[in-house]
Amino acid sequence: MPAIVVAAAVGVLFFLAYRHYSSYLARRVYGSDAAFVTPAHRFSDGIDFVPTNKHVVFGHHFTSVAGAAPIVGPAIAAFWGWGPALAWIVVGTIFAAGVHDMGSLAVSVRHGARNIGSIAHDVISKRARTLFLLIIFFLLTLVNAVFAVVIGNLLVANPGAVIPIFVEIPLAIGIGQYIYRSRSAALVPSLIGVVVLYALIWVGLQVPIEVTGLADALGVDNPRNVWVVILFAYAFIASRLPVWVLLQPRDYINSHQLFIALGVIVAGIAVGWNTIAAPLVNDVPEGSPSIFPFLFITIACGAISGFHSLVASGTTAKQIDNEADVRHVGYLGAVGEGALAVGALLAVTAGVAATRADWTALYPDFDTASGGAVGNFVNGVGVFANNLGVPLDLAVIFAAVVVISFAATTMDTGVRLQRYVVQEIAEVLGWQRLARNLTLAGIVAVVVPLAMALLPGGGEAGYTFGVLWQLFGTTNQLTAGLALAVVAVWVVQRGRNPVAVLVPLAFLLVMTSWALIVNLRNFVDDGQWVLAPLDAIIFVLAVWLVVEAALALRRASGSSTGSEHEPVPDDSPQRR
Amino acid sequence: MSGAPGTAGPARAVGRVVLVRPWTDARSGGGCCAGPVPRPHAHDASGDPVGAAYRALRGELPDLDVQVVDVANTAWLLPAVLRRARARVGTLGALRCALGATRAGSVLVDGQRVGDLEELAPDELVAVVRRAATA
Repeated sequence: MPAIVVAAAVGVLFFLAYRHYSSYLARRVYGSDAAFVTPAHRFSDGIDFVPTNKHVVFGHHFTSVAGAAPIVGPAIAAFWGWGPALAWIVVGTIFAAGVHDMGSLAVSVRHGARNIGSIAHDVISKRARTLFLLIIFFLLTLVNAVFAVVIGNLLVANPGAVIPIFVEIPLAIGIGQYIYRSRSAALVPSLIGVVVLYALIWVGLQVPIEVTGLADALGVDNPRNVWVVILFAYAFIASRLPVWVLLQPRDYINSHQLFIALGVIVAGIAVGWNTIAAPLVNDVPEGSPSIFPFLFITIACGAISGFHSLVASGTTAKQIDNEADVRHVGYLGAVGEGALAVGALLAVTAGVAATRADWTALYPDFDTASGGAVGNFVNGVGVFANNLGVPLDLAVIFAAVVVISFAATTMDTGVRLQRYVVQEIAEVLGWQRLARNLTLAGIVAVVVPLAMALLPGGGEAGYTFGVLWQLFGTTNQLTAGLALAVVAVWVVQRGRNPVAVLVPLAFLLVMTSWALIVNLRNFVDDGQWVLAPLDAIIFVLAVWLVVEAALALRRASGSSTGSEHEPVPDDSPQRR
Repeated sequence: MSGAPGTAGPARAVGRVVLVRPWTDARSGGGCCAGPVPRPHAHDASGDPVGAAYRALRGELPDLDVQVVDVANTAWLLPAVLRRARARVGTLGALRCALGATRAGSVLVDGQRVGDLEELAPDELVAVVRRAATA
């Protein structure tokens, strides 16, 4: 089947879902009220609380949630065939992600724009705040670990990308300093930065850089691990710089790259008329992870991502001008990420291989599929760019540079955020030295994911990555579960029908717990004594969440007021 | 602000003012699953040029539609400026306006740059915006 037909069909489904289902959610489930005075008006300060046009808020929200994660999951999940992966992305986006993102935003707007962890403390229980912090700690740990491995794998597979990626760092700093000091328009220098970056792809192809010799000299088996250590050293230093020095200009360059990459995928598919070479449902080898439950944690971002609840409730809610805008910003944000995931799936099913045999050679088993997933995406996008006349070798490095740029920015931000989480957990535990020492917190934020990226072993690199990715998926789904639990309790308290929220909540918790149990048994059987305890801890958090959600729902159904204007808890700005 | 909730919308606004956040007021992030970066400490509202400008404009010119935008929000900023400015200064002029709009700290009135947030005191900014909006 031509990829463009799939893309068009998904576009129609997403449009209909936005038009009708999000409208139903707004009216019947969340009770959006255009007359409600939003926190942006109540606490308007022009700094954080600013009533803002819905299209402006959507621009901020979407660039905050769109990133590398919706690429990796679908690229791995194609292993089960394009049908199941596509079905989960579409159904997940429409009935889970849209409900979750919109609900997180709606509940935050009704609670003074506080973040979801803080609301969980009030709506679910006091313990839920600690649960939230622990889930976020593991989520960020695994985010940083998996993206270090992703980048390491890509740099090993594409040595031509090393120069552009590492020159991008001083390039971004230089552009940032120029914009800051000359007070000139930011668009032209940042576009020049993109052009220089892509020109460096040619240089990188002429001067590929490999670390095999360095790895041999250090006695490191896998050269990827050399890159992983270098990346964490970089992330530690980068996270100590003010945001505007490196992160801001690099993010600005990335925002241009996002549009360029999306344009290349859409135009490449339309021009090349690539057909899907992957099977609708893949006849996977015996012993492979089964679709149920593993598909549903392999594709987290792109079908549903708990991380979006943090963006929606932490930042976006403070800018909502009119409660009716929640639908536009929240639901469309989820749809945008789903569209990215579909693009990634088409790259690894229609772009990377022209025939079924070629495709099967890339996805012979789960270990190879997961280890090579991002490389397959890069090669697939390379083919799409090649359809537009870009030489294939340059096109592949272009795609690698785009993915690595996004993943590196995610790592930089993830380490930065993890420092705050470590400090907050230390505060809860009464470890004042750690709570007050930014360097110490930064070291913890780097060393734990570094160990996760390096230590797990006993199998091939692909196996390690696939397992790490699944653990990341489970923590992301748990975060989504916590947010959906908060939303469900709030909906029940208002006397509204919570089925639209309860169904994805129950589905996520069942799939997550199921996957954790199966993986725990496998880890113990394989003697994976780093991953087994980690899996066990995450499983305990999942059970804890199930219990808290059930108790809170029972309390809420007993005390449902049916009030449309329930008393808002103390939502003074100091509490945020 | 686009007016009272429920009646909001640029269509009824007399004019649109866009305040582009200064470069050092960055709110960048790493996309899914890491961004955006929150501010680690409570913000000092009194010393923030965007906040001061915003409050002054809201107080003195309540009928204006005031938006606060990050310079990286290109997908909204460029089309919005082009649309607004074209009516006043033509297509070429609008392109120049769009370019200028990406200067961090810009104050834009109907797409045209009229000042810099970090150079104008709030009362000066109100005066500049009032002149530009009624021109």
